[in-house]
Amino acid sequence: MNIIELINLTKRYKGLRAVDSISLKVREGIVFGFLGPNGAGKTTTLRMMAGILQPSEGKIIINNMDLKENPEEIKRITGFIPDRPFIYEKLTGIEFLRFIGGLYGLKRVMDLEKRIMELLEIFELDHWCDELVESYSHGMKQRLVMCSALLHDPKVLIVDEPMVGLDPRGARLVKDIFRNEAKKGKTVFVSTHSLDIAQEICDEVAIIQSGRIIATGSPDELKRKAGVDGNLENVFLKLTEGSMLAHEKSLSAS
Amino acid sequence: MKNLFLLLSVRILAVKNGISSAEPGARKKAIVMIAVGLGFWTLMFVLSSRVLSYFRSTEIIGDILANYLLSMVFLTFFGLLIFSNIITSLSNLYLSNDLELCHSSPASLEEVFISRVIFTLFDSSWMVVIFGLPVMMAYGWVFKPGPLFYFDLFHLGLALAIIASAAGIFVTVVMVSIFPAQKTRDIIMIFMVFAVIALYLMFRLIRPERLVDPDTFFSIMQYVSVLEAPDHPFLPTNWITDVLWSHISRREGESNLLNIMLLWSTALALMVINIWMAGAVYFGGFSKSQEAKRRRAGKGFLDMAVRLMKKPMGDDDIGAILEKDVRIFFRDNTQWSQLLLLGALVAVYLYNFSVLPLERSAIRLDFLQNTVAFLNLGLASFVLASISVRFVFPAVSAEGRSFWIIRKSPLSIKRFLVGKYLIYIFPMLLLGEILIIATNRLLDVSLFMMILSSVTMFFSVFAIVSLGIGLGALYPRFKYENITQVSTGFGGLVYMIISALYMAVIIMLEAGPVYIFFNTDLYKRSITSGEWVMISGSFILVIAITLFTIYKPMKMGIEALKKIE
Repeated sequence: MNIIELINLTKRYKGLRAVDSISLKVREGIVFGFLGPNGAGKTTTLRMMAGILQPSEGKIIINNMDLKENPEEIKRITGFIPDRPFIYEKLTGIEFLRFIGGLYGLKRVMDLEKRIMELLEIFELDHWCDELVESYSHGMKQRLVMCSALLHDPKVLIVDEPMVGLDPRGARLVKDIFRNEAKKGKTVFVSTHSLDIAQEICDEVAIIQSGRIIATGSPDELKRKAGVDGNLENVFLKLTEGSMLAHEKSLSAS
Repeated sequence: MKNLFLLLSVRILAVKNGISSAEPGARKKAIVMIAVGLGFWTLMFVLSSRVLSYFRSTEIIGDILANYLLSMVFLTFFGLLIFSNIITSLSNLYLSNDLELCHSSPASLEEVFISRVIFTLFDSSWMVVIFGLPVMMAYGWVFKPGPLFYFDLFHLGLALAIIASAAGIFVTVVMVSIFPAQKTRDIIMIFMVFAVIALYLMFRLIRPERLVDPDTFFSIMQYVSVLEAPDHPFLPTNWITDVLWSHISRREGESNLLNIMLLWSTALALMVINIWMAGAVYFGGFSKSQEAKRRRAGKGFLDMAVRLMKKPMGDDDIGAILEKDVRIFFRDNTQWSQLLLLGALVAVYLYNFSVLPLERSAIRLDFLQNTVAFLNLGLASFVLASISVRFVFPAVSAEGRSFWIIRKSPLSIKRFLVGKYLIYIFPMLLLGEILIIATNRLLDVSLFMMILSSVTMFFSVFAIVSLGIGLGALYPRFKYENITQVSTGFGGLVYMIISALYMAVIIMLEAGPVYIFFNTDLYKRSITSGEWVMISGSFILVIAITLFTIYKPMKMGIEALKKIE
């Protein structure tokens, strides 16, 4: 069953098509990698899926609901981890998580304090939970945002560049968590330009370049399509190179 | 020194690019801001010219007053400049994001320091120059000094700005070498608030209104002694005042060389001392400011305050917003310390009413009391709007770069804004009613006036807060270094104008009915049916305009915030 469906999704900024009519279907219970070079439109797509940006055209269907029609219901079942963890600096870690719990109305449906402590322990922030966020390192803030995104046990986790600022131990932890979430039937939609990560944790990937999807499938399928051996990096370079040439040709022709 | 020009060119390029890549609405905003600025400039010029012309026409003490005013203007600007340089240099020398890049570049420490000193001098001084210029031009217009007045004003003004800047930077560098930069900023902000409160209270309590009423003094000597400028021969403001006054009073034969030399040698010497000191301690201070400190959150009082305020809201999403906002407010020194200013403002407001010499007026006391009470409605609302522009208007922008959390959450924008509204409405209602009831009690007004003004204030607060939240959402500013910058922008100006317009309309509409009630009471007659129609019409309009002002800004704010990207 498809849990996420993007239909002709487009985002324009002052004439520039940052995301250009992309369509995608993502199955439930997998880790889906969204790959692309810098400036390809990954973050814009993810921010539209998280309900932070409004699409210029197209639809986002999550759990059979249209994001435009049911934004609050969808936001209740999705979690979002942005690439830059801007959070309230004058709250402590635990206060920030309680605030998120309040926004999602979790006190009524679960033992919020227990859940917060569980997550803080998993992300090794329990000793820092009474400190103000302003004293946290970038990696710690990133881990705190991950706690907040998982707090309400979302069906879909949308993650933008998850490994930025994390140490190897943190990175390992995050990869394990994503795989575990998928095993539990949750869907993780993760954007990255790190091909090692995509190869290691993703069941399926899509490659976006200049706002357009240029390939989708499992890592093995993509290797076959591209006709290259070896790792995903070769596939990525081959596909993006071809697409770049086509893009340049169309520009020079016009 | 070639890197110095490179470091300076970054700022020039940023300004140039900022202008060329401005969004479509930015030009309109700039035009409005320039128009308001020019209006203010003209007003200051006209007022200063009138005051100086009056002084000039007054024998014996006229010149003393004009000299006193000149000295006070320079002393005030000099003090403001020093404070402004302390705060600005903290950002420019220690806290700016681009400092890491500058310090990791091959530019020398002196080059980085001097470039930042120039930024600080400019950032701190331009506002004072703009506000000071109309006053100085008024001196030129009224006293018609020679061209040397303008030449000396220009270069000595620059020297004075350099001295203030160097003094401010000196204080900052010394303080940061003792405390971390972040803590220094907190200490200075709190100190500044206390200093402003002390100055404000001191100024009010010496009752400057007595100066326009010399009858209250026993002799002219006593009056003149009150006017002795708090200046000192060692103060640079004294040197510049002396030079400019010699042009104004046309004592051209007098040599100003000593004062001019004193100003420029002090400015240059302080610059050299600062550069020398920077070589010794600046980098150590910068390095210390980069170290993250474990900062414990205050408990006890804050927990209690949050529990108390959250009680009526419950544990839902709006309760969560309230709890967050209260905690952040009391942990941010730049925010809570403003409450002290607010306290001083209210205290002086009430004090002013307690010393109003109404009994000395030729007009009937009860009529005057009630008229003042009616006008006070507008004044109190203006005070409330000024407080609101500082606290309520930035409520949405206060989310800062963390606004994505609200956008991502299941909380709708409408509910988010309603939450913000509920947080501010109760304290503002309390404050509004305290202001109006306390001043009415001091004025000893009639029961009718007491009821009318407290009911009007009650409903006006709903409109004033709605304007604050709604326009705050319409003109949000999520990227700022200090939340106080939000209130002083274009949106804050629009808010103040619309709030003043709203109150002016309400007061004009209520003036008719109030006049009728007073007249009927005075002449002991009953209200005619035509008057009843007029009274009902006025109050219906007041209600309609208030409801519209409550509804429309919130609606516009919700729509605007939904479109924010």
